[in-house]
Amino acid sequence: MSLNQLSALEVAARVRAGELSAREALETSLAQIHAVDGQQGSLEQKPLDPSEEHKVHAFIRLTEDLARQQAYEVDRKISAGEDPGMLAGVPVSIKDIFTLQGIETTAASRILYNFKPPYTATPVQKMIDAGALILGKANLDEFTFGSSSESSAFKPSPNNPWDPSRVPGGSSGGSTASVAAEEVALSLGTDTGGSIRQPAAFCGVVGLKPTYGRVSRYGLMAFSSSLDCPGPIARNVSDAALMLQVIAGTDPKDSTSSVVPISNYLEALKDGVKGLRVGLSPDYTHLFYPDFETGELAMESIQKEISQAVQHAASVLADLGAEIVENVPLPNAKYGIPTYFVVSRVEAASNLHRFDGVKYGYRTPVEVEDLQDLIRRTRAEGFGSEAKLRILMGMYLSSEGYAANYYQRALKVRAMIRRDFERAFDPHGEHRLDVVLTPTTATTSFKRNDVFGNTVRMQYSDQMTVSANHAGLPAVSIPGGLDADNLPIGIQFIGPDFREDLILRAGYAYEQATQGEAWRAVRPAVLRQEVAK
Amino acid sequence: MSISKISPELFHKLVGLAALELTAAEGAYLLTEMNHQLSSVNALLQVPLEDDIQPTLHGIECQGAGPRVDAWQPFPTPSEILAGAPETEDGMFAVPDVKGAK
Amino acid sequence: MKDYEVVIGLETHIQLNTQTKIFCSCKADSWEATPNTNICPVCSGMPGVLPVLNREAVHKGALLAAAMHAEINPVSHFDRKNYFYPDLPKGYQITQFDEPIGKGGYLDLHMPDGVTRRVRIHKLHLEEDAGKTKLDHGMRLVDFNRCGVPLVEMVTEPDLRSAEEAAQYLTQLRQLLRWIGVSEADMERGHLRCDANVSIRERGSQVLNTKTEIKNVNSIDAVRQAIIEETKRQIELVESGGKVVSYTLDWDADTGKLSMMRSKETEADYRYFREPDLLPVILTEEEIAHVKAELPELPPERKARFEADYELSAYDAEILTSERGLSDYFEEAVKSLGGEAKAVSNWMMNDLSRLMNDLGKTASELALIPNSLAQIIRMVEDGKINAATGKSLLRKVEESGREPAQIVEAEGLAVIADSGALREQIQAVLDSATAEVESFRAGKESLLGWFVGQVMRATGGKADPKRTREILLELLKNHS
Repeated sequence: MSLNQLSALEVAARVRAGELSAREALETSLAQIHAVDGQQGSLEQKPLDPSEEHKVHAFIRLTEDLARQQAYEVDRKISAGEDPGMLAGVPVSIKDIFTLQGIETTAASRILYNFKPPYTATPVQKMIDAGALILGKANLDEFTFGSSSESSAFKPSPNNPWDPSRVPGGSSGGSTASVAAEEVALSLGTDTGGSIRQPAAFCGVVGLKPTYGRVSRYGLMAFSSSLDCPGPIARNVSDAALMLQVIAGTDPKDSTSSVVPISNYLEALKDGVKGLRVGLSPDYTHLFYPDFETGELAMESIQKEISQAVQHAASVLADLGAEIVENVPLPNAKYGIPTYFVVSRVEAASNLHRFDGVKYGYRTPVEVEDLQDLIRRTRAEGFGSEAKLRILMGMYLSSEGYAANYYQRALKVRAMIRRDFERAFDPHGEHRLDVVLTPTTATTSFKRNDVFGNTVRMQYSDQMTVSANHAGLPAVSIPGGLDADNLPIGIQFIGPDFREDLILRAGYAYEQATQGEAWRAVRPAVLRQEVAK
Repeated sequence: MSISKISPELFHKLVGLAALELTAAEGAYLLTEMNHQLSSVNALLQVPLEDDIQPTLHGIECQGAGPRVDAWQPFPTPSEILAGAPETEDGMFAVPDVKGAK
Repeated sequence: MKDYEVVIGLETHIQLNTQTKIFCSCKADSWEATPNTNICPVCSGMPGVLPVLNREAVHKGALLAAAMHAEINPVSHFDRKNYFYPDLPKGYQITQFDEPIGKGGYLDLHMPDGVTRRVRIHKLHLEEDAGKTKLDHGMRLVDFNRCGVPLVEMVTEPDLRSAEEAAQYLTQLRQLLRWIGVSEADMERGHLRCDANVSIRERGSQVLNTKTEIKNVNSIDAVRQAIIEETKRQIELVESGGKVVSYTLDWDADTGKLSMMRSKETEADYRYFREPDLLPVILTEEEIAHVKAELPELPPERKARFEADYELSAYDAEILTSERGLSDYFEEAVKSLGGEAKAVSNWMMNDLSRLMNDLGKTASELALIPNSLAQIIRMVEDGKINAATGKSLLRKVEESGREPAQIVEAEGLAVIADSGALREQIQAVLDSATAEVESFRAGKESLLGWFVGQVMRATGGKADPKRTREILLELLKNHS
């Protein structure tokens, strides 16, 4: 096994034991990046050389100098007998939505193309303090608006390492791609409606959305403040647990961050699933897609192999002693996306008000007559279409004059989605679940440009994931197989408030029990190419 | 069941409120998508709400650390903040004046 | 001409005197600071930042609500008010829209003509201040030093009926804010800002007509003047057949003129919604009780008490309760003096007040503590020193910080009480003024005053005038 295939746990253990230098870990990661990643994303719309078509393009910017400094520091600590941290020498990527002091943080948007933050985001700082090496800023959908990473202003947008003609998912597509392509061991992403879990499913990696407030949002450029969750992306469950251990915790700079104590997530993995009550819901077997004329929600089947993967996972867990509880009603799941359209857009429109060319970032170079003109032109030129769309929807849906109080209604439906889960998890209720098991997505990855432009279809990629965001609950997507095209399938565990330990436990048990399954031997196309070279 | 749609006039007004400027093509595309999205949002109006349901802001009941102590902690590098501005004058952020201001 | 009455509502923004801003730990007071030096990523609206509430802002807001007889809401919320303006870095202001910290409340105005006007409070809430901008060669320059300072916005019902009442409201409000210690309330420094809403109607009507809003009134005088001007303008307009249009008006203090700023027809749609980055503000029953208990006796109550208990005139009581430190001082001094309020009142309103003005000090800043004042007054009343000495002692104690008795001792300022010593001094004076003694004895009794003067000179002013006269008369009349 080459070094870049090592898990984060393994790298950290070897570095801490003095068996591997952080510098060596860095070089390995860089070599892999240079081998598979190709061009970083940029604003210049140059035509792409054909050789780039099969590259990953996970990054907007590499931060090699920074990583070298960090590696130096880790190695220095090792020789000085100081504690280098739990992530010592582990190469990581950071979704370019988190601020990193002194280094351009773009949100994949022209409007922040040159923005150098004067401060570093809390979860990023925690990873740095734990000895991680930051290899670069991962590409994403602009301002995290999207489920394919195609809306990035920095082209080329990331490709799916399993099939570079397809999308990695989004909005944390660069993050999941960089991990799947073994460029880095871990990535810090964000999940607002499914933006960690959906791309994790598409890229065959583990993606965890913690409980809302479990990880500080300070330094996360906000999309939807009441839904945004920073979270770990890794190649296996233990690594996700390790990273969560580092980034979780209360932060005085984030009023919504939780004071509920952090568990020991790594320890919890070993507890197994004997007696664990795992719920399956009939409300997660179909998509409920609107008719554009009538607004009626019509049922659509989800990809057969995905349903089968979920069933298979249930039986694996049952064999391990878990209790599978069928027919758990979560009836308001079908309103997850409609609710999301309202809540997230209202908050997004407001969060994007600050981008006006006055204080930082892009300002229109065109001669303007007055301030209003400056702001309009700056935003028109600086924002991509998806950003403009979300702003306009948000303005409409929060306006007193004509929005039939959509926002208040949406918050009530959100409460009903939450209540569904409370009933399912209620220890004195009918189902008394520990976790819920569902598909992560309705389909596997789609081809580039297939869905992009159809914003409703694109948003519905998140139908299975978004309810956990509305309810504030922790949820994890883990690899659950491959479809006939060798595209990854993700299965999802959702747990009660602050019970990341339960969902990681369930995921770990499944992962370990299926190590021998044939699909696990298949590698992403981008890595097979490499071997073939 | 008829769903509400956004008219071109209203769309135009929203664009102004949002401090945006759109080409005709962009405008047409965005308006179409907005109305498609509204067909999804429409479902919310049909949901039978439970009687006692209260709006929730975060899903969970947040347990935060509460308000902070009133103690001065200066930011170490305010100059770094100013340095990122597109234009400054005399240490202030500089912009053209507001239209119609005195 | 019809008989019109003016209807006024006031909107005030009060800058709280906390250490730090409402949502970040930058300083709340940066009056003289260089632009953009008292800023951080939070108050300058950088991407990725989050607000963290200052508990002292909540405390002071609650205290003010209690002082205004408003109900303190145990649960209140912050909301976003969205609009674009260069002094608003986030593009929204965090304020309290529908569930603010205070509900209801009032301030009773005590007008000089004896009328008491109850001014009801319509809204009392916490919010953050915006930055400052200035115009320079066609460019607007922005300074965020003040951005994020904690404000309480208080809006009255349209209960005021004259420019004078509006001025009185602001005077009383300013006094109250300083009294309970939540704001320096210095209008020149923007600690207390006021916008006035003005409309007119025929006297006796209950209708509320279209109002205009006057902004940029930076002093109590300006508020008074501007309202008078606007009332006049509206009456003239209506009398000549015109209609009052809902404009925002700007007051130019230099020219004393109002100018139209913008029409209020197009109300901005602020799209208020709950601030998701903040949690609800919770005040427990205990905490609310604590705040109420913390409320000191307020100026109107104290004034009434001073009139009743100390039998002070309304005028004196008014002066002595104009400032909390002064009134506390007064009570301390009266206590030390065993209850002689009138004496303390006289001394404070005359000589002490002069001293304070000369030195530019408030009562609580004096080194001359209330007990010392009481001591001085006691010594004068007991005849230990005379009045003139007493007055000079005020400054001596203030400047040296020493006890009055100590200074009297050290400088030998005591009235010559010992009759024997005094008699000797007087005899000495008579011995050296034989011609005048002859004249007196011959019938020129008006010379007595002259003799007293001589004795005063000889004793350095320390002779007791009454005793001196007695002994002089005795010695002058008894001769052999």
